[in-house]
Amino acid sequence: MKILAAIGMLLLMAGCSSMGVEAWDRDILAKDEMQLTTDALEAATDDHIYFSKEASSGGRGFGGGGCGCN
Amino acid sequence: MVEAAAAVTRGHFMSKASDNKISAALATATYTLLGGISPAPVQAQEEPGWDYNTSLLFYGEDNDRVQDLSVSVLATRTFLDDRMLTLGLTVDALTGATPHGGLQQTVAQTFTRPSGNAVFTTPANTLPLDDSFRDTRVAVSANWQQPLGRLYQLSYGGSASKEYDYTHLGVNAKLSRDFNNRNTTVSAGLAFSADSIDAVGGAPVSLSSMLDVGDLSNRLGGQDKDIVDVVLGVTQVVSRNLVVQANYSFSDSSGYLNDPYKIVSIVDAVTGDVVPRTPPPGVSGPSHEYVFEGRPDTRTKHSFYGQAKYYMGGKVLDASYRYMTDDWDIDSHTVDLRLRWPLGESRYLEPHLRFYTQTEANFYQIGLVNGEPLPAFASNDYRLGDFDAITAGLKYGWETKNGNEMSVRLELYQQRGNIPADRQFGNQVGLVQYPDLDAVIAQFSYRFGR
Repeated sequence: MKILAAIGMLLLMAGCSSMGVEAWDRDILAKDEMQLTTDALEAATDDHIYFSKEASSGGRGFGGGGCGCN
Repeated sequence: MVEAAAAVTRGHFMSKASDNKISAALATATYTLLGGISPAPVQAQEEPGWDYNTSLLFYGEDNDRVQDLSVSVLATRTFLDDRMLTLGLTVDALTGATPHGGLQQTVAQTFTRPSGNAVFTTPANTLPLDDSFRDTRVAVSANWQQPLGRLYQLSYGGSASKEYDYTHLGVNAKLSRDFNNRNTTVSAGLAFSADSIDAVGGAPVSLSSMLDVGDLSNRLGGQDKDIVDVVLGVTQVVSRNLVVQANYSFSDSSGYLNDPYKIVSIVDAVTGDVVPRTPPPGVSGPSHEYVFEGRPDTRTKHSFYGQAKYYMGGKVLDASYRYMTDDWDIDSHTVDLRLRWPLGESRYLEPHLRFYTQTEANFYQIGLVNGEPLPAFASNDYRLGDFDAITAGLKYGWETKNGNEMSVRLELYQQRGNIPADRQFGNQVGLVQYPDLDAVIAQFSYRFGR
């Protein structure tokens, strides 16, 4: 499993090396709304709500702590 | 937290330099706490200063279930050379009631409160709810991020939260490296949490009976839970308009993983009704037979997460998918879609849809049959059941005259569960139902810099 994951990662990186843009073409990517997390507080809020109400957590980042008992 | 910190930097506001002694003292104190080294003094006019992201949240469930009012602040200090400090504070005030796992019956039921020193009664034909919690939660976090050389970036931090009956302490670190002209970023993160549970009345022994008032013989002292999280990720710029991310997460929990307030009913093998009992004369106690839930003391989760952000002539589509599987046999799928739709230069609308589905844990039981040996594990926590959930919401954001950002969002969250027909028998059919949930999420956010 780990070996497969490592091979997958290498293949992905090899594939990725032909993708991308030059530094002077990053005008759109640099916009606030193009960041992977645009609103950190909203993301944290949602993560805590769903962590407390569902049996899954994490994925985007760490699963986080807390009771979530209610 | 690491992700959150990164986002805040990228989304920072243009702010005027200000030489604030309190801010500087706070920053210095935090370096010391984090074990870092105070940065060399820099010229005031080059200091970007603090940026604040604040929010007020209301979360409310229907039928007098959980209500939460929450205030959060995320303060970010950026320095020269892309170094950054992020401090977070959240205060939650929780009230309401929540299903504790007892089955709805055609007769009234009396339960011993979690404290063990009183009883409460649920009327006939009513879903039993535990209304005894009133909790305040305070959570703090600190995170430091800095480049290491030209291509590496390191971040590390800590978090803590305190509830009346629960304490969380956590540390985390993440290292990332850019490749391929900075179009590819590979990252690895590690987090460790040491939580302690100090349940009201004491955490009950797994699958032990709910006892009469005053009898705490099945209660344990303080309990612990440790969580190790590993996140491996790749972020790839695909084109001028498209960036994607793929993460694999591993999470291992061990210790007391029960919810100390959840119970399972003991049911009659023929009728399916909860078995009645009579407390001794002069003593208050449960009117029926119940046991406290029991979960395994370890849980291993694997998550695969993919996200894409796509720019389409001003509109931005944010789409993500997560698959999670664990050794409790819970599998879940989550799809999250947001479309940011600009309205002129300084306003936008953002509709949001989220779809979630999960399978039940292999020890999920609506009741345990009287006379049969107790299983190793059992829980009727609705969150471990088989259910689907949908969130639909709309956010409206705008820029204020002085360049700060405000937004409001309103979302509806709906859970619809399913108890398979072959799991119900006797009088349970048509009476016992999954405790469906409808909730509203309303949030106001204000982001400002100085």
